[in-house]
Parts: sequence; C-alpha cells; structure tokens
Amino acid sequence: MRIEKCWFCSSTVYPGHGIQFVRNDAKIFRFCRSKCHKNFKMKRNPRKVKWTKAYRRLHGKDMTQDSTFEFERKRNRPERYDRNLTENTLKAIKTIDKVRSRREAKHIETRKKGKKAQLMREAVKELEQSISLVKAPSVLKEDKSYTLPKIKVKVSQAEAKNQPMEE
Amino acid sequence: MAASLASKWSRVGRSFLGGLDHKLSGFLSTSHEACSNSFSQMRTVLKVVDNSGAKKVMCIQALKGKKGARLGDTIVASVKEAHPNGKVKKGKVVYGVVVRAAMQRGRCDGSEVKFDDNVVVLVDKQGQPIGTRVFGPIPHELRKKKHVKILTLAKHIA
Repeated sequence: MRIEKCWFCSSTVYPGHGIQFVRNDAKIFRFCRSKCHKNFKMKRNPRKVKWTKAYRRLHGKDMTQDSTFEFERKRNRPERYDRNLTENTLKAIKTIDKVRSRREAKHIETRKKGKKAQLMREAVKELEQSISLVKAPSVLKEDKSYTLPKIKVKVSQAEAKNQPMEE
Repeated sequence: MAASLASKWSRVGRSFLGGLDHKLSGFLSTSHEACSNSFSQMRTVLKVVDNSGAKKVMCIQALKGKKGARLGDTIVASVKEAHPNGKVKKGKVVYGVVVRAAMQRGRCDGSEVKFDDNVVVLVDKQGQPIGTRVFGPIPHELRKKKHVKILTLAKHIA
C-alpha cells in the first residue's frame, strides 16, 4: 500500500481513490479524481493550469526548495518491521508536516507582503523626480518640502444652499 | 459521424445478440477518444501483442460474461490480419486472453486501472500462450486468472 501523488494536480491519492492510466510505453499516470483525469484527456499541460501545484511551484507562488521535502522522497527499499521505528516515523511525520505547512504559509505571506515596500520606494522616487509638475521650481527653492501647502476655500452658506444636489 | 455509425451497428447488432447497449467499441479500436466503459464483445477488433503471427483479431465470443470480455478474460476470436510467415494464419479461429483494455478494471485496493487500447495475447485451449514474446505492459490481474506464463514473458508488469 502506498500513498501516491496525482500526476496532474500533485495532491495525494489515498488507496481506493482515483484511476491509474497505463500508457503503452508503460508509463503510469495516477489521478486523484475525474477532474484531473478529464484535464489529462484534454491534453492540458498541468504547468499551465492555474490551480495545480505544478503551476504554483513553477511560478513561485508556492515554496519549491526546502529541507522538509527531502523526507518525502520515494523509497523503494522495504524496511524490516520494527515497532519503534514505525512509532517514531509516525511522530516525525506529524512534526514535519507542521513545520512544512508553517514554512509554506510564511512563504506565501512574504510573497504577498513584499509589494508594500516596493510601492513606498516607487512613491518616494516619483515625488523626488516629478515634484516640478505640481510645484514651480522657484517656489521649490524657497520652500524645500515635498508636501503642498493646505489651501482653505471659504464657501458661503447661501451658495451651498442654492446649488441643487446632483443626482 | 462516429455516433451515427455506432447507431447503425447497434441496429445491425441487435439481430446478432438480441439487445445489448454497449455498441461503441465495435469496429475500429484505433480511435483515440477511448470510450472507457465498453466490453470486448462479438465483432470487437483487438490488436495482437505477441509474436504468434497474427496482427488483428476479431472477437467471436467472450467466454464467461454476459456483456462481454474485460481485462483478463479469455475470448474466442477469428484472425483477420496476420504476418505472412507466422504460426497463425488469417481466418483461423483462436483463443485469446485480453491483456490490455481501455475499460477500467477495479483492483482489490479500490483503485481502477485502464490502458490505452484493447489488446489480446493468443493462447491455446489449455491457456498456454502460442507466441514466445509479449510486448508492452501487462497488468498483474492475470496472476489471479492463472495466466502466469504470459506474465513471465512480459517486459513490464503494470
């Protein structure tokens, strides 16, 4: 018994699920559900289909390199049954899973956060370079701040009442 | 076009077999959109994947099974196409074991396997293969059906 990976979406296929398709060159494709199977029949490339792990890894949305992935490598050597080994492995699986999901979440968080700093830097640069669009250079020489002075406009009450509300 | 031809076959086939509905796999097994829910029944053309001399074989009867033969079943077939100098000649009636089927077959762990095409290995009445080599992947479902000889000849067991 073995937990496989879906060829299309890279999710885990537990025993009793999915279809495996054996091509004539003896390559086996395992699918977790008919969604993946149908996409495969349509000859879609999983690297181009947005919701698959292949796409996400390729486009840097998900973590690609980490030491926790080394634990999941496929081993074809059967291990002699040892109860201690089994127990320790099960405990290790739990902790490794926790660590890996934590790191993946962090990766996504840093990916999403990065934009703010970049926008700030761009804004600062734009201010420095194009302040002349809103403030004349002669005025800039006297008053070197990048912020424009606040101008207060007095509106008489009668005028405000006369102007009808725009619908 | 394929759909209309299939319906024509169904009308013809009704006189042969008396009312079965799975007529899609009929004539040409070389179509690439494999309808994966069809048995190998009378008139199904299957490829031969050993070196017995035959190339294409048409199923005459699926021994065992009301609806037709699946992966691992034996069939009686008539040789339609053969290599010029082979053990088996065109027109001969032979027995065969279905070793690859486009129809999925459930495994005992709950998963399902399916192959790319419908393929047969010719055997004699006792179940021993006529040829000495088989090509392509062979499923291990044959072990349960006691076709161990074919498995030993296989290059790759799926």
